[in-house]
Amino acid sequence: MAEKLDVQQGTLALMILKTLEVLGPLHGYGVARRIEETSNNRLTLNYGTLYPALLKLEQEGFVTAEWRPSENNRRAKFYTLTAAGRKQLARETREWHQTADLIAAFLAPRRGGETP
Amino acid sequence: MRYLRAAFARIAGLFTGHRADADLRDELQSHLDMETAENIRRGMDPDEARRQAKVASGGLTQAAEAVHDQRGLPWIESMVADTRYALRALRHSPGFTAVVVLTLALGIGANTAIFSVVRGVLLKPLPHRDGDRLIYLRHSTDRPGGANIGFSVPEVRDFRQGVPALGGIAEYSSWSGILRGDDDAVRVSVGLVTGNFFEVMGLSPVLGRLTLPRDDGPGVPPVMVLTHAYWKRRFGGDSGIVGQQVRLDGAAVTVIGVVEPAPWFPDRVDALLNMVFSPHHLSAFMVEGRTHRMTEMIARLAPGASVEQATTQVAAVYARMQDAFKEAYDPGSHYRVAVVPFKEVLGERARLTLWLLMGAAAFVLIIAAANVANLTLMRGVRREHELVVRAALGAGVARLRRMLLAENLVLTLLGAVAGVLIAVGGMGLLVALAERYSPRAGEIRLDAQVLGFALVLSVVVALLLSFVAALPQEGTFASWIAAGGRRLAGGRRKQRLQRALVVAQIAVSVVLLAGAGLLTRTMIQLANVDTGLVTEEVLTMQVPLVTPAQLMSDPSADATAKARYERMRLEVMALPGVITVGLGSPMPLRRSDVRFDVKADGKALAPGEATPSAELRTANPEFFRAAGIPLLRGREFLTTDRTGSAPVVIVNQTLADRLFPGEDALGKQIAWTGDVLRFTPISGDWRTIVGIVGNTQDGGLDAKPGLVVFMPFAQMLVLGGGLVIRAESNAERLVPAATRIVRSIAPTAPIENVLTVSQIKDQSVSPRRLNAALISSLGILAVLIAAVGIAGVLAFSVSARTQEIGIRMSLGADPGRVQRMILREGGVLLALGLALGVAGAFFAARVIQGLLFGVAPHDPATFIGVAVLMAAIGTVACWIPALRAARIDPAITMRTS
Repeated sequence: MAEKLDVQQGTLALMILKTLEVLGPLHGYGVARRIEETSNNRLTLNYGTLYPALLKLEQEGFVTAEWRPSENNRRAKFYTLTAAGRKQLARETREWHQTADLIAAFLAPRRGGETP
Repeated sequence: MRYLRAAFARIAGLFTGHRADADLRDELQSHLDMETAENIRRGMDPDEARRQAKVASGGLTQAAEAVHDQRGLPWIESMVADTRYALRALRHSPGFTAVVVLTLALGIGANTAIFSVVRGVLLKPLPHRDGDRLIYLRHSTDRPGGANIGFSVPEVRDFRQGVPALGGIAEYSSWSGILRGDDDAVRVSVGLVTGNFFEVMGLSPVLGRLTLPRDDGPGVPPVMVLTHAYWKRRFGGDSGIVGQQVRLDGAAVTVIGVVEPAPWFPDRVDALLNMVFSPHHLSAFMVEGRTHRMTEMIARLAPGASVEQATTQVAAVYARMQDAFKEAYDPGSHYRVAVVPFKEVLGERARLTLWLLMGAAAFVLIIAAANVANLTLMRGVRREHELVVRAALGAGVARLRRMLLAENLVLTLLGAVAGVLIAVGGMGLLVALAERYSPRAGEIRLDAQVLGFALVLSVVVALLLSFVAALPQEGTFASWIAAGGRRLAGGRRKQRLQRALVVAQIAVSVVLLAGAGLLTRTMIQLANVDTGLVTEEVLTMQVPLVTPAQLMSDPSADATAKARYERMRLEVMALPGVITVGLGSPMPLRRSDVRFDVKADGKALAPGEATPSAELRTANPEFFRAAGIPLLRGREFLTTDRTGSAPVVIVNQTLADRLFPGEDALGKQIAWTGDVLRFTPISGDWRTIVGIVGNTQDGGLDAKPGLVVFMPFAQMLVLGGGLVIRAESNAERLVPAATRIVRSIAPTAPIENVLTVSQIKDQSVSPRRLNAALISSLGILAVLIAAVGIAGVLAFSVSARTQEIGIRMSLGADPGRVQRMILREGGVLLALGLALGVAGAFFAARVIQGLLFGVAPHDPATFIGVAVLMAAIGTVACWIPALRAARIDPAITMRTS
């Protein structure tokens, strides 16, 4: 079984923004499910991690929130990506790629030796 | 932008708590419901589905808490909670709160008030534009009255040409004149200045214009610039005064403007005029006479130049000058020029006194803070139980510390508010004190910066207090809790800290008391100085009838004035209760500004010896008897000593001893001498000494008497003049009647300095008295606080040792023995504090040496007195807790433990 991971600081915001970009307006439960599924259930999000992150994005103006009826006619709070959120997502994606490349280059075996 | 937006959202979040909490509950619930539904859809039974969903949530309460922290500013919320809690806790111990707030208020109040004076007088930038670039040049010699002799115009000219580091040099010359009003006349103190004066000083007009270079030289109309204070005082701030003419010394002068408020030096002037007002200032005497020194120099550093450069260049030019004009700088007098920043010159008389007060106030605050620390420590012990419980309930050390800090902040801020109120109350007194020492007293304000100072002080004290209280260390909670929250009555470390604080308090109190003692002794010594007058029932009043300028233009004015003085004298003499009335100038116990070099017939100066100079005073035949100046030898002046008869003088003891050491001065001849005489109507003829009188303290009670020559009032031009009225008793009573007589004879002449001799004496003593009183009150405050401190610590020690004492007593120790034990405990602290304090006072006394008079800085009587006083107060403070210890009933203590 895959090892469970904690969400790395800073990456959660990026995951939420990306989820909202791909799936459109979504409630907290939907966001959590999507992130867990995408990670093949290696990540679990409890409420205490997810909701402060959503609130923070709202405070920063990257998402807006409103109550709406959900697919099976329950009421839920839906989060929508704003224009600023889109820009922020693009910026963070770029930065993440750069960082990932850098780290990959840094950790790459020097003489084509063993891989982990 | 993003952070700003988030910050606003969070601040808003502080206030939208309730609605947002409900919203969040709904949101979390909907999440839980959706997850439960999903679990059911996957085939779980409803109960299991709900349970699994709850497990995955990680706890709703924790989530709500985390969101809550993200929403608002948690530290502000906990601060608010802490403050609310602190207020509640302090309300529950009103005694503690009152004592602490009052103690801190006194400490912070004293510091705030004195800091406002230090700032206004010493620290604040000058109101002048680029005031830190202003330079004062001080010319001094070792001769009496040589501390600041001023420059001659040729000297100023040499500096102006030879010192490029000084960008502009302005000249200023003191003058005093009589300003005629519609129905009165007043003496005004004015400065004659060059046209560049205000430009160099960096001052602007508030009304009209200031003098300009075009106002220099002869052939221009005399113009006057009023100082701001005088404009307000004399003209009620009337803006119509600009452009009008006033009569000064009988001449018409146009007021051209009012200058912004600024400190004036060396005199507090009322107005400034261009040089043309005084023909003398443009005469060849003044302009060419190298020894005719009547001018002060104020300069502005050239752009990029430093004080050091200016000093070097001035020294070089001055050395060249001394070389070229040897006769103008007799080597025995040690002529020298100092380059001093103007700001320092303004503060120099106040500096020592003010820093002394500031130091004393700081000491009081230290003692006060130490006391509060002790009280907090004791209270902390009583609260250990509470702190342990809080720690057990999950409050971290940081949180506990914050709680204490909030409590201490509330205390110190309350203290600061009360302290500022005290400061406001004490400001009047301090400004009055500062006025005697500094021309900048008008700049003292309780402004935002001073209040900021009080705030910073209180925060610093609160921080210190929060860290003296011992908190359970991380990891030691277990042992605290294991102890069951039982009272851990003051660990050894804490008791040591308390004791150290008490020792420090006593030591600092002793230092303050010693300072207060020395200053008080100074004041008493000064008040007991023999003025040289045999009676104090003397009323003096100065009535200037003519000015030197009038005398020069109208020679007959002299005789007219003398006749009017004589009429005044005879009419006042006829008043009941008057013994005799003298005429002369200046009045006894007042400094004379008229001073010339003097030589004795047949005596040559020793090589390198400075030419002696003496004050010139005038007196009529009754003057000495009226003033109570004892005639030691020879005779008083006679009515036959008048114009045309042989010139005679009476000298004081100091002059006789100085010019005729070991000889009888009576019958010897002396004469005025020196270059300066050429500029005056005073002749250098030989004059015979017909009498020798005792020395009088004309330069102030703390000054060494100088050389004095009295000339007959009738043989000398009227230099000013006044009445010396000796009464049978209560001389002050004569003021109305004497004033009426003078008014009837000279309706427009100013009547100045109507004072009895004891009042004059008091003027000399009162600044010292104020000084001594301020330091003494700070000292007394310190001692009281320290006494409370030592009593409190011992009382605490007694209550912590109740059990031990109970056991001792049940084992046979009698109450006397217990009492001695506690007294010994206090005695050790007292002795340590005294020893440290006396040592500290030895150092402190050296620092304030300059403020002392007639008492050695290590005056044994003061030191012993202070030590005995402190020991006595300390013993009393120890006695009370010791008595309490002795009354402990062993039966009761054993039962309750």
